[in-house]
Amino acid sequence: MRILIVLVRLAWRYLWRNHRRTIIMLGAIVLGTWAMIFMTALTRGMVDQMIADGISAIPGHVQVHGQGYLDDPSVTRSIPLSDEEFAARFADAGFSAWATRVRVPAVITSERESRGVTLLGIDPAAERDFSFVDYGAVDGRFLESPEDSGIVIGAKLADTLETRVGKRVVLMSQDPDNDIADRGFRVVGVFEANMQAFEEGFVFVGKATAQKMLRMGTATTEAVFVGDDYRNVEPVYDKVAAGVGDAVTVSRWTEVDTYLGTMLKTMDGFVLVWMIVIFLALSFGLVNTLVMAVFERVREIGLMLALGMKPAMILGQIIIESMMLLALGLLIGTALAWASIVPLEGGIDLSAVGEGMEMWGASSVLYPKLYLEDVVLANVVVLVLGFFASLSPAWRASRYEPVEAITKVG
Amino acid sequence: MTAVRCIDICKTYTQGDVDIKALDHLSIEIEKGEFVCLMSPSGGGKTTLLNAIGGLDIPDSGEVWVGGQRIDQMSKGELAELRLANIGFVFQAYNLIPVLTARENVEFVMQVQGVRPAERHVKSMVLLEEVGLEGLEDRLPAEMSGGQQQRVAVARAIVSRPELVLADEPTANLDSHTAADLMELFVQLNEHHQTTFVIATHDQGVMRYAKRLVRMRDGRIVDDVQQNAA
Amino acid sequence: MNIVLRLAWRNIWRQPRRTWLTTGAMVFSNILLVFMISLQFGMYGLMINNTLQVFSGHMQVQAPGYVDDAKMRQVVDDVQPLAAHLREALGSDTVAARARAFALASSEDRTYGIAIYGVEPRHEPRVSNLPGLVEHGRYLQDDDAYEIVIGSVLARNLQVATGDELTLLGSGVDGSFAAAVVVVAGIFESGVKDIDRNIAQMPLTAFQDMFYMNGAGHQVVILAPSLADAPELQARVEALVGADDGLVVQDWDALQPGLRQAIQADMSSAFFMYGILVVLVAFSVLNTQLMSVLERTHEFGVVMALGMKPGLLGRIVLLESALMGLLGFVLGVIAGTALTAWLSVRGFTMPGMDEMAAQFNLPARIYPPVTLLSVAIGPFVVFVFTLLASVYPAWRLRRLHPVEAMRVN
Ligand SMILES: Nc1ncnc2c1ncn2[C@@H]1O[C@H](COP(=O)(O)OP(=O)(O)OP(=O)(O)O)[C@@H](O)[C@H]1O
Ligand SMILES: [Mg+2]
Repeated sequence: MRILIVLVRLAWRYLWRNHRRTIIMLGAIVLGTWAMIFMTALTRGMVDQMIADGISAIPGHVQVHGQGYLDDPSVTRSIPLSDEEFAARFADAGFSAWATRVRVPAVITSERESRGVTLLGIDPAAERDFSFVDYGAVDGRFLESPEDSGIVIGAKLADTLETRVGKRVVLMSQDPDNDIADRGFRVVGVFEANMQAFEEGFVFVGKATAQKMLRMGTATTEAVFVGDDYRNVEPVYDKVAAGVGDAVTVSRWTEVDTYLGTMLKTMDGFVLVWMIVIFLALSFGLVNTLVMAVFERVREIGLMLALGMKPAMILGQIIIESMMLLALGLLIGTALAWASIVPLEGGIDLSAVGEGMEMWGASSVLYPKLYLEDVVLANVVVLVLGFFASLSPAWRASRYEPVEAITKVG
Repeated sequence: MTAVRCIDICKTYTQGDVDIKALDHLSIEIEKGEFVCLMSPSGGGKTTLLNAIGGLDIPDSGEVWVGGQRIDQMSKGELAELRLANIGFVFQAYNLIPVLTARENVEFVMQVQGVRPAERHVKSMVLLEEVGLEGLEDRLPAEMSGGQQQRVAVARAIVSRPELVLADEPTANLDSHTAADLMELFVQLNEHHQTTFVIATHDQGVMRYAKRLVRMRDGRIVDDVQQNAA
Repeated sequence: MNIVLRLAWRNIWRQPRRTWLTTGAMVFSNILLVFMISLQFGMYGLMINNTLQVFSGHMQVQAPGYVDDAKMRQVVDDVQPLAAHLREALGSDTVAARARAFALASSEDRTYGIAIYGVEPRHEPRVSNLPGLVEHGRYLQDDDAYEIVIGSVLARNLQVATGDELTLLGSGVDGSFAAAVVVVAGIFESGVKDIDRNIAQMPLTAFQDMFYMNGAGHQVVILAPSLADAPELQARVEALVGADDGLVVQDWDALQPGLRQAIQADMSSAFFMYGILVVLVAFSVLNTQLMSVLERTHEFGVVMALGMKPGLLGRIVLLESALMGLLGFVLGVIAGTALTAWLSVRGFTMPGMDEMAAQFNLPARIYPPVTLLSVAIGPFVVFVFTLLASVYPAWRLRRLHPVEAMRVN
């Protein structure tokens, strides 16, 4: 411990002996740290938003379907469990939210146009908390009950159909006997969503109304369950799987939306790779700085050895010096990253490339997300790898023979 | 009691294809409390001998004993500990750690030894005063003259009361007046604390203070006389 | 060799380790840049080509506003004669007419909403590679046959095979009820789920008949020989179908607005990363050169006292950086190109890439092409920054006084 204090003081003083070099290196570390954390926050923000959008759009965290529904999304593949059975099993299971719904492909027709859409027959109260539609912000009104006879469609769809609140549209789909099931609806609300694809692709009607139209009794085609953390859906999955039995398919959102699932994993990998790349770019400068720092004080190292310092202390001194430099850079860099992310948390407007972001599956407003884990990861990556990078110059410094070091000229 | 004993030590450097015998079957014995001056023409082997005694360099053959311990077979770590505890060094130049102040330089060895701060502080202040540097404690080496720096180095070499002080041309960078002051200091320490001194020098002025004068040439002792110090 | 050059060269090798570490940073970044930029350019090219060739073509003649709304009644009148006219006038056969509608398709057991395209069976294969992707059965043949080709996912969902019948139900251009029974002639598989699930094609004449189109369609699709030829071709098409016909020519950017923006979004994040990398290298060079200048202050003082001008010293320092930069450039380009060339033969892939790639009509294994631009651009920028970074150390020399300089040791 006392040796440590000696070494820390020496290292600190040496660090500032050549303040220009230290400041330049510090600048590089600060920039690198900032870039690591800033970029990670942007990436996290984007992926979070994508997944939040994606999950709220459809999958929830865990889904239950009738056998074969995922491959053949038809009313004939409804879930062989009634709403009462679901309620009996899951009402007190502690999920953040859950709901059963009717979800089938359909065609919507106005007097002008037709489009293919996904019909969602929902219980509006049950889905309020995880729907991508903000009920309160709907032009007109959102559905009020499962028996609501109206329909709520997206703004973009309303545009192409040349319809609006108060006008009528017709939905067509099939019933379980493959007869055409159709019904006229009055448009009661028009919603806006982060993604144009949602506005074009989804229409909401009351669950009971949908069941009546599709002549499917009280059956549903999908049950969705939402837990606390989209990254860890296993607890929800296990509970649901245990509750519903074998007659149905239970899937995690990563399985239903494989693109999003892969995206999440890939981005986790990307974040780490990015940090390591930045570190490697820094490491050349770091090693260089240490080599120079050792080189210009070979004689002093010899002196310390002659005075009775053990080689291990020299090694420690150089490593401490390097760690101090890194820690200082990390501190400033992290603070800077934080300071530059906080003002952006209200969202960065990317609507200039909005449709491109949508191709990536992301919305056109990017909310950077600073996670403590990422800050820690960046710091740990730099410190740990920095430690290994300093080993070689520090080792060399400790291997000097005192006589040679002292008599070294120049 | 014997402070230093070298038995038949050899050290050969190879320069190109020429072998240089820096130490050539040299033997010497130095008693505790002696004040020895090593003299030789340049290249005579003084530095090599001091380094061998201080454990900075290991001779090719022969034995080196310091304070009753044989040191030529010790590990680096043991040697470091020996130097830390028993030997004080003063070199010709570049004696101080440039990022530490005068006082910190003096305290450095004690700090590594683990002496408590209060004790360290008192001891270093006393010694700095003794070498005539009161008031300059907080200066960095770059802010002191060569003689002042050399005195700090001396203070550091003796602060932990080593039994043996090895000095390699300590006066080479000093004017004759400052050099004389430094030698007075050595003599005084030698007499007060029974510290053994081995000093390598070319300087006639320094030799006058020696109680024992050892002349070397080509790695051998050619003359070894006791004399009455000036 | 020029004495200044020789001096600079000797100088950088006075501290070989430092020089190698500095060029090492450049080489590392350059390898990364060459590889990443080649991969990126390769991917963008593929994204554009695959997306355009699957379906939308390089440009389309449409009614104004159709590109945004795609409404049934935003028609191009007499679409087949127009296409024929364009084929002749352009001397090109990569021109085809289309029409589009949404309908409910029912098989024995299933009903789904789909997008139906009316196409010219003889010309469609020239502008789109969907016809070539028919896996079962055959592509359309006769202009007025009531037959249809559908995607593989749709076939599975509808539970139909070639030869089965589908009932189509929709609304005609005038809003009236439109219905027909068609035979599944073929099933294609593009690998893009959305296309395989949602799209069907039937002969244009039959389509016009069924939807009461009265000879009209919605688009004339034109494929250029390559993306680079598209603008010139578009100018010729525009000369042929002016605004007085009530038609517009939409380029690929307008047809697939997401595509360019996806590329732009990806590029800006990539360039941000490259920028950071380059600046980090610059820091490294700045550090090295400043140190090497400071170290030599005394020496510089001596040569200045001997009569060397500070300007020349500055030039030497810049030259030293240039030499290091050049070394980093050459080694980086060689190694980066070797890596990329190897991957352009072996193909690059990574875990999860098939899922990601499918989103952008890309294959799961990418063969990044090695082009002069993609190889040289990154290292060139690094080189420029290397020089910029040594301007400050070189500039400091101008203020050097020989006497003061010699006092430094
Ligand atoms: N590291 C070395 N490599 C080669 N030869 C050496 C080395 N160190 C010392 N020598 C040689 O060994 C001999 C003795 O050197 P040493 O340094 O001990 O002499 P010295 O008496 O201290 O001389 P000076 O008065 O000049 O300091 C000299 O000939 C010297 O050239
Ligand atoms: Mg000597």
